[in-house]
Amino acid sequence: MRYAEPGSVEEGLALLSTTEDARCLAGGASLVAMMNAGRVAPGMLVSLHHIPELSTITEAADGLWLGAMCTHRTVAAEARLRGAMEVVRSAASQLAHPAIRNMATVGGSLCLADPQTELPVALVASSARAEVAGSAGRRTLPVEALLVDSFRTSLARGELLTRVFIPRGVDGAAGHHLRFSRVSSDYPTVSISLVLAMDGDRCRHARVVVGSCGPVPLHVDAADQRLVGTRLEAADVAEAGRLLAQAAAPLDDVRGSAEYRRMLIPRLLGRALSQARERTHV
Amino acid sequence: MSDKVSVSLHINGKDHALTVAPERTLLDVLREDLRATGTRRGCDEGSCGACTVLVDGVPVLSCLSLPARLAGRAITTIEGVEAGGELHPVQRALVQHGAVQCGFCMSGIVLAAKALLEHTPSPTEDEVRQALGSNVCRCSGYVRVVQAIVSLGGRP
Ligand SMILES: Cc1cc2nc3c(=O)[nH]c(=O)nc-3n(C[C@H](O)[C@H](O)[C@H](O)COP(=O)(O)OP(=O)(O)OC[C@H]3O[C@@H](n4cnc5c(N)ncnc54)[C@H](O)[C@@H]3O)c2cc1C
Ligand code: FES
Ligand code: FES
Repeated sequence: MRYAEPGSVEEGLALLSTTEDARCLAGGASLVAMMNAGRVAPGMLVSLHHIPELSTITEAADGLWLGAMCTHRTVAAEARLRGAMEVVRSAASQLAHPAIRNMATVGGSLCLADPQTELPVALVASSARAEVAGSAGRRTLPVEALLVDSFRTSLARGELLTRVFIPRGVDGAAGHHLRFSRVSSDYPTVSISLVLAMDGDRCRHARVVVGSCGPVPLHVDAADQRLVGTRLEAADVAEAGRLLAQAAAPLDDVRGSAEYRRMLIPRLLGRALSQARERTHV
Repeated sequence: MSDKVSVSLHINGKDHALTVAPERTLLDVLREDLRATGTRRGCDEGSCGACTVLVDGVPVLSCLSLPARLAGRAITTIEGVEAGGELHPVQRALVQHGAVQCGFCMSGIVLAAKALLEHTPSPTEDEVRQALGSNVCRCSGYVRVVQAIVSLGGRP
């Protein structure tokens, strides 16, 4: 195995293209665990730790850019992630356990595309966009378009993720993440990320995304639409939850059966909506 | 064939010049090359916290850390925690509260608690539980561990 520490994105891209099975090394939390278990043996590790732009956070008029190498710990402490954008901070501060949050990164979480991880769920809820660098330059795409299947992204060979853009989103909205797990530091059985805005006691905007219930974060337009304009009463929540549960394709595993996960969706949705509602200020 | 990486690691205040295969973890290097076996190997996948060390004062898992990228960072292992032959206050409190059973998890717990107390000198019980969320203990039930750490409130 070879190891390289490029100092810029361009140098990193050049290295990735020279070796057939080169892999980026971000926090290493998942990649090194897989190497320890003998499940992967990359020909080259391209460490992203010495590329300053990847650890940068940049504020723009319409949102915040988070560098791919920002750790969950950094994101959890980023006070500018307010309002709708707070869904990302909320997920980063709760997911996994402290030592993993100190190591694992935004880019690693997205590029791993593990259906159980929560940051991708929050990024979809916030309508985030990913910036990808390749030999032909840079492109941005919605996070949904990056996550194509369980552990599969649309990154082409030799491309790397540079940063993600979190739009400021709807005025007066609140973003929130709720995870349900057997013990607090385990992967969630089900997680929900949402952005909610109210007009008095009526829902003005809702975007709900469910994690651990399919190969990619689950977003169902009809479920959002079922909530908008309502007072978020029990029947509205139950019906939106039913639409989500119907579209879900959860696994049966040690953390819960598929049936149990489907049952959890409407219940957690109700809880997540009422928690988010307390935080909306319009 | 593995290329080797030369790296200087700053561990417990001393520099160690090493040449290692890039896939070998900090945990491997500590235990096998430096014979610093106080850092434990539990799961090798980030789930148990037995291998916790501090990097620039922050708890990280040595089983998931590659030495090549830790050049020049300040690494603290359990061997670097006592000073002048005296146990660290966290270690003393754990002993006094009868919190230590087999001790396998304790190196990681001591380091996680030390890091917590450095930035939160009087943690609440909940803050202690949160900070120990990375550390699995199979024998203590955590109650006395948490009591021991809370008892240090107000002391650095
Ligand atoms: C024990 C454990 C418990 C966890 N628990 C949870 C949990 O409860 N909830 C949760 O949401 N997550 C959890 N995670 C996952 C964690 O949050 C991270 O998503 C994950 O570890 C990957 O992040 P990383 O930065 O360490 O990436 P790495 O492990 O370094 O990389 C992961 C993959 O992404 C690729 N990659 C990394 N960065 C880039 C980039 N910029 N461009 C292109 N490719 C890239 C790598 O080549 C590799 O294939 C857990 C992980 C572990 C090990
Ligand atoms: S051995 Fe590192 S977390 Fe278990
Ligand atoms: S004291 Fe035995 S594992 Fe914690």
